[in-house]
Amino acid sequence: MIAMDGRSFKREIARRVFAFELNKATHKIESGDRAVQVLLPTGVSCNRVFIVGVLLDREETRPDSDFWKVRISDPTGVFRGFVGRFQPDALESLLKIEPPEIVAVVAKIRLFEGDTTTVVTIRPEVIIPVEREVRDYWVIETAKHTLERINRMRKGGNELVELAWQVYEPDLDYYEEKVKEAVRTLLDQHAMVESETEARESEEPEEVSEEEEKAKAEESEVESWEGEEELEGVEDIESVEREEDWELEDIDEFEFEEEEWDLRDILGE
Amino acid sequence: MGRIEELTEEVVRLFKNSGYEVDRRDVYNRLKLLIEEFKVPEDEAMRTVKNYLMKELDVSREQLIMESPLVKVADIKAPGQWVSLKAKVVQLWDSSSPNVSQVGLIGDETGIIKFVIWAKANKPQVEEGKCYLFANVVTDSFGGRMQVNVNRNSRIEEIDEDIQLPPKELEIVGALIAIQQNSGLIKRCKLCNRVLTKGVCPIHGQTESYDDLRVKGVIDDGENYYEVILNEENVRDLTGIGLEEAKEIAMENLDRTAVLSELKNRLLGRYYRLRGMRGQRYLLVSEIEFLKADVRKEGEEILGG
Ligand SMILES: [Zn+2]
Repeated sequence: MIAMDGRSFKREIARRVFAFELNKATHKIESGDRAVQVLLPTGVSCNRVFIVGVLLDREETRPDSDFWKVRISDPTGVFRGFVGRFQPDALESLLKIEPPEIVAVVAKIRLFEGDTTTVVTIRPEVIIPVEREVRDYWVIETAKHTLERINRMRKGGNELVELAWQVYEPDLDYYEEKVKEAVRTLLDQHAMVESETEARESEEPEEVSEEEEKAKAEESEVESWEGEEELEGVEDIESVEREEDWELEDIDEFEFEEEEWDLRDILGE
Repeated sequence: MGRIEELTEEVVRLFKNSGYEVDRRDVYNRLKLLIEEFKVPEDEAMRTVKNYLMKELDVSREQLIMESPLVKVADIKAPGQWVSLKAKVVQLWDSSSPNVSQVGLIGDETGIIKFVIWAKANKPQVEEGKCYLFANVVTDSFGGRMQVNVNRNSRIEEIDEDIQLPPKELEIVGALIAIQQNSGLIKRCKLCNRVLTKGVCPIHGQTESYDDLRVKGVIDDGENYYEVILNEENVRDLTGIGLEEAKEIAMENLDRTAVLSELKNRLLGRYYRLRGMRGQRYLLVSEIEFLKADVRKEGEEILGG
């Protein structure tokens, strides 16, 4: 892709990563004109994610601040994030959602470096309620992608893989088990939903499983979120946010004012 | 023609283009000696022979128009570079500008790019579907896109090769992670079909227009992303909202952007299987459906593997 000034750029890919892995990421990669990336423990850089999970709650950080803290769970843990005025689309749709609800989220990654811990948060650009099937496929897809990354880590060789070994020394067997556990949870839920639907056609099965998932996520929280307090202590996270956003305003949000050529326009199709 | 003969031709042509006659037999013998007898690598041999001839003829490197490096379309990323490329003429466009002799698209197996032959370049006309060596052309960027310009120092030569174009049809599975502006209920120029921005055609200014429905978005599969364009039919297949329904939504809400909000709610964040034609930047979708995956089967495969 080419920007207006002829500089070539690539839009950042939205990685598929489970909460338990993302929450372990602590290492920033900064290089040239690319937006800041986070190194995942499985050896790829990541600046954007696509997540489908359950929005557990949304909470305004201060009254009338229009700055909301959100928690979104997948079968492995919880993504923490913030939605503010800088993501107007996400903010607008967030306010219409009554949690718990299954949502698809496209988000940028931010590392918050506190005094004692480094905390990963997400900044949703898109947050939209979706159907259960979307969430189910996301778990499958994310499992596949994570297992592929794990395999690449085992083979070794590329620069980021080596760096991930150095920084995280990940226990890959544990990672693999977490991924498979997520798939197992999904298949169990699936079986349950199917039998329930058969048994009670009239009832909406989603509520049950979402509540269950919420409970499960709460359970796994202790392990995944030591940084919570650190984050609570930040009075002025919004101003941090604002700064970062200007700094990191990346080129892929750029859109041509004028209409580009697409072949269809030219061919009059 | 053997390899040595080919290289000989290249050298002879290079000097001829700058107005110098060289002894073809002499060039051939020198190349043959270096390459076949002494096993010197081709590019070294070429450089040696060219240097020898420049010295003999007392020509400076500047006087001699050096052949620009042969590149692929996908390599062209920065403006102001001299390059050569072998490409097929994909499409010729009408040009109303007297400065332009020909304009259109050329491509090779790595991509498609716009080209302009300036009238001042004084080159013979190229034809659609034929393949050429475009030697010593200059890269440029215009309106956010790369292109190549053919000028007086360039050379266009028909070649007897069938250059393949990038696979035009692509099937992908991925999630729609963004819907861009200029999507939803849009207006197009009656004269050229381009989409109006704030009621204005980029070519014809304020013109008569007609309504259309489309979605410009980004499909991301976690490894790659594709900028896609869904036309009215695609949108209707997926959402049940066609042009007429879209106009109704706009009327009910007294707001054309209500259509875009509705489409975002129904389309963003979902997975699709789609096929489309790769354009210069966009994938023009021919068929698209919500992904129907067998989660149980795929899940069991993951656990079994
Ligand atoms: Zn027009």
